[in-house]
Amino acid sequence: MASVHTKDRSLPRRMFLRNVGGVTIGLPPLAAMFNATGTAFAATPNAAIPTRFVLWFNGNGVVEKYWIPSDTGSDFTMTPCLAPLAPFRNDIHVVTGLDNPAARLPGPGNDHHRSMAALMSGTQFTGRGSGGPSIDQAIAARVGSENRFRSLQLGVSQESFGESIQRNMSWAGYDRSLPPEMLPNKLFDRLFGARDAGWIARKKSVLDAVQEDAAGLKKALGQEDRTRLDEHLASIRDVERAIASLPPNYRRLDPPEAEGDMKDWPRIAKLQSDLLAHAFASGQTRVASYMLTKCQGLARFPWLGYTAARHHDYTHRDGKAPGYDGPDGQRVMRDICRWHVEEFAYLIGKLKSIKEGDGNVLDRTSLLFVHEHAEANDHKNNGYSLIVAGHAGGLRTNMHTRSTGTVSDLYLAVANKAMGAGLKSFPSATREVPGIFA
Amino acid sequence: MAQKDLRAPGPEYFAAQVLPVLHKANCEGCHNGGGVAAGTRFKFPEGELSKEEWARFGLSLHTLVNRTDPAQSVLLNKPTKRLAHAGGQRIVPGSSDEAILRTWADYLVSNTKPGDKFEISERRGEQKPVLRRLTNTQYNNTVRDLLGDDSRIAEQFPPEDFVNGFRNQFQSQSVSPLLAEAYAAGAEKLAKSAFRGGDTRGLVPCKEKTPACGARFIKDFGAKVFRRPLLENEQARYLKLWAAGGAPMVVEGMLQSPNFLLRTENGAEPSWRPYETASRLSYALWNSMPDAELFRAAGAGELATPEGVEKQARRMLRDPRARNTVDEFAAEWLRYDSLAGAVKERASFPMYTPELALAMTEEARKLVQYLVWENRNFMELYSADYAFVSTPLARLYNVPPPAEEFGRVTLPPETERSGVLGQAMLLAATAKPSETSPTARGLFVREHFLCQEVPQPPPGVNANLPLNNREKPMTNRERLAVHLSNESCASCHTLIDPIGFGFEKFDAVGQRREKLKIVFTAERKEKGATETVMLDLDTSGSIAGAPNSAFRSPRELGTILAGNTQCQQCVVKQLFRYYQGRMEKPGDAATIRRSYDDFKKSGFHFQELMVSLLRWSIFPPES
Repeated sequence: MASVHTKDRSLPRRMFLRNVGGVTIGLPPLAAMFNATGTAFAATPNAAIPTRFVLWFNGNGVVEKYWIPSDTGSDFTMTPCLAPLAPFRNDIHVVTGLDNPAARLPGPGNDHHRSMAALMSGTQFTGRGSGGPSIDQAIAARVGSENRFRSLQLGVSQESFGESIQRNMSWAGYDRSLPPEMLPNKLFDRLFGARDAGWIARKKSVLDAVQEDAAGLKKALGQEDRTRLDEHLASIRDVERAIASLPPNYRRLDPPEAEGDMKDWPRIAKLQSDLLAHAFASGQTRVASYMLTKCQGLARFPWLGYTAARHHDYTHRDGKAPGYDGPDGQRVMRDICRWHVEEFAYLIGKLKSIKEGDGNVLDRTSLLFVHEHAEANDHKNNGYSLIVAGHAGGLRTNMHTRSTGTVSDLYLAVANKAMGAGLKSFPSATREVPGIFA
Repeated sequence: MAQKDLRAPGPEYFAAQVLPVLHKANCEGCHNGGGVAAGTRFKFPEGELSKEEWARFGLSLHTLVNRTDPAQSVLLNKPTKRLAHAGGQRIVPGSSDEAILRTWADYLVSNTKPGDKFEISERRGEQKPVLRRLTNTQYNNTVRDLLGDDSRIAEQFPPEDFVNGFRNQFQSQSVSPLLAEAYAAGAEKLAKSAFRGGDTRGLVPCKEKTPACGARFIKDFGAKVFRRPLLENEQARYLKLWAAGGAPMVVEGMLQSPNFLLRTENGAEPSWRPYETASRLSYALWNSMPDAELFRAAGAGELATPEGVEKQARRMLRDPRARNTVDEFAAEWLRYDSLAGAVKERASFPMYTPELALAMTEEARKLVQYLVWENRNFMELYSADYAFVSTPLARLYNVPPPAEEFGRVTLPPETERSGVLGQAMLLAATAKPSETSPTARGLFVREHFLCQEVPQPPPGVNANLPLNNREKPMTNRERLAVHLSNESCASCHTLIDPIGFGFEKFDAVGQRREKLKIVFTAERKEKGATETVMLDLDTSGSIAGAPNSAFRSPRELGTILAGNTQCQQCVVKQLFRYYQGRMEKPGDAATIRRSYDDFKKSGFHFQELMVSLLRWSIFPPES
């Protein structure tokens, strides 16, 4: 196959495109999606391009007075926290007032644990993790099987208290966390690492043997452990699929710099967003979760000038963050929340910059921006303010809607309208939030 | 809505009506096996109960009912706080919820007799099958012992999360696609480097590339990887890989096999049992695979008796690998990692550097090592009047520097430090950036040292304390008074905060202070208005629920904890969780009790506890 040269000026300087250097892997499933110029769906009719979903998460809550627009409807007034989205007004819909009722069921865990499990899956915290699959996994189970990766989990900041429910946002099921990949280099390797045919053949034989081993082991197990082994097997099959359907004639990106400050979260966030956008553009997956900071997160913010305390410290006005009590602490939180939105806006911009069909990747993507608490200081678990972005499913944009439903109600709307997942129900949902999609 | 039926027609009324009331009041938050109210007469059963078992539990509550005057039953008067109740008022007096309890009390009076027993049978010592995954540490150690590979490749795997206080709990060990990919990549790398430049480590017992040589290699090497003899069909499977890619491909495959990554305990295959036991011992004591002697003992049937298991365990304790495992146990139990992420205000604590934080952790590690490997009374963890400090730490503690770095120094009584309770590691990790947190310190003692779960604040509670102001500066005790004056907060905070108050003479980095210094900084644009206030500290504290537990310093608390049965048993429970990869259950009570008895009899020697706990876990006692 001819080598491919492509130029894409939207990429950062260090991620320019290179040709594949004669490495070709001829495997059918995704071949049709790639044309001679290497841009995934550029020549594909719009209708044939599948939609994608991003569940975006930042830890802790927001400062409502700096976040929630005072007016509803179209042309709402931008707030300090939402300001980075001003250029994307016509790509977003702000939905506020949503409830997270499962966070209030009596049971184990602190406010963060409970809100997080309930937010991701609509279920109660188990004492260890989520009580069921998170919404991204519920969607991936319906729409993910045609792609190289059923879903991707990305993360950025790693600073946390270390518990499972705090470190993970995606859950395959009861207590089954799906950890995010937090290092751009490793994510790059998974998505775009060079492979040759001999390597693939060898990997496949090895994985075949491993799967036979697993089938044999199953006989020696009790029922409960068989289920756990089945999950392990499913993961092995996912690995096998990822190996088998590596896109042929694939345009290759240079890997992100391994050097540099690996705690420079704004830098890492942009690298991760770039990789995610290209993963979508090359049809490698339709579903992703993006964990910018951790639940009850402890990130520090040197680029904002706040190093005296950690993210979660600033959400308590009782002196956890010295010198940032009261209004000062609220202004710190405002700037942190604006940074969250800024990174979200970067991803939106990135998706918009990649051509696809007669439009761009954002036209066929739906992004949902969530955080574990509503008002941060009160650790409030009702009245959530979220953002839906992207045009998949015909999002009504430039809108602020005050809703009375649950977060899960909004999930149902996005899952079905934007992703065509056909979800009949989801825990804590009673109906699709109306008025969000045309 | 339909009117609630207020008659109790039968025992099913309990599950239908009474249980929801008790749930709403969160009685089981404290009244459970490990809860702060575990010692009272009212204890919720654990695990999944059948309808019939719930009914029996409901009937067992007849001991809480006053038969002559049901209105005076503790069942009613404790939760409504008509009688003193450490958990505060959980049910509003005179409410419909109380009426439901009253209905049940009346039912119990007429349908039970004093002395009736309604025990829910505990499935004692039941050996349930468990499937456990190698932890990242275990993976690293195993490939080191198997291939001589020291690259610690599992540090590249997705990091493990804390569940039940440890990183090795089986509930958190699902294999995600990301982890499966990491295993695949890891196996490929390890196999490649094992045979770089030929078979330099002598893994393959023969030189030829023949199937016979392959078969020999697969049988011998495979038995080490799978930690048991290979089945015939398994050998055939890997012979195919041998034919396709030789020894490296066999190794790459085996290192991804569930037979390597997972291990069964009490699995369904009886012939594997001796080998399971060998792995249980080696992963508990070494965090690694069995050595040749253990494999031999398993093959010779020597692990089928408690004596055989004990003999091997004692031998294994003499191996340096046992030390690393104890280090990891302590690091997770005492959460050294939380210090690594701690932030301290630079202006107040200029001495707090990453190096000092590391030294704090090292001090903690040194004390545990000393207690375990010098066969000291392990309860000195709380009561030791000595410490192993670096020069900067000695300076922080205001004691003479040690003769050599991390050498032993005596802590004079006036330091009021003792054991882990006086260590900067603990004091700093449980404090905020600039100020202490009696709540965090009290909670740490309850959860980590007494193995008691304290219920979390109810959802949506405003957890913010009043701010300090110039007009009326307050100590932490005074600020926390809001916890104790507010009914819904007080029920739990009376169990937590008073423990933390006893630590108040140790600041946010573990430095001694005689008074609380509060600096009110200048308001914006205002000049020269900085004002410093010094407040007296009242360090009287106590452990609610424990008799004679009043104390005024970490040292006094240390003496109390070292002699406290619950605290001693908690050491056993923590090690149980680490060894078994799960929380203890009612069926484990006998194992824990026997291990505790042995621990105590030995003068609280931790090595004896390790041996005993393994012995009673592998051969659970009847009672």
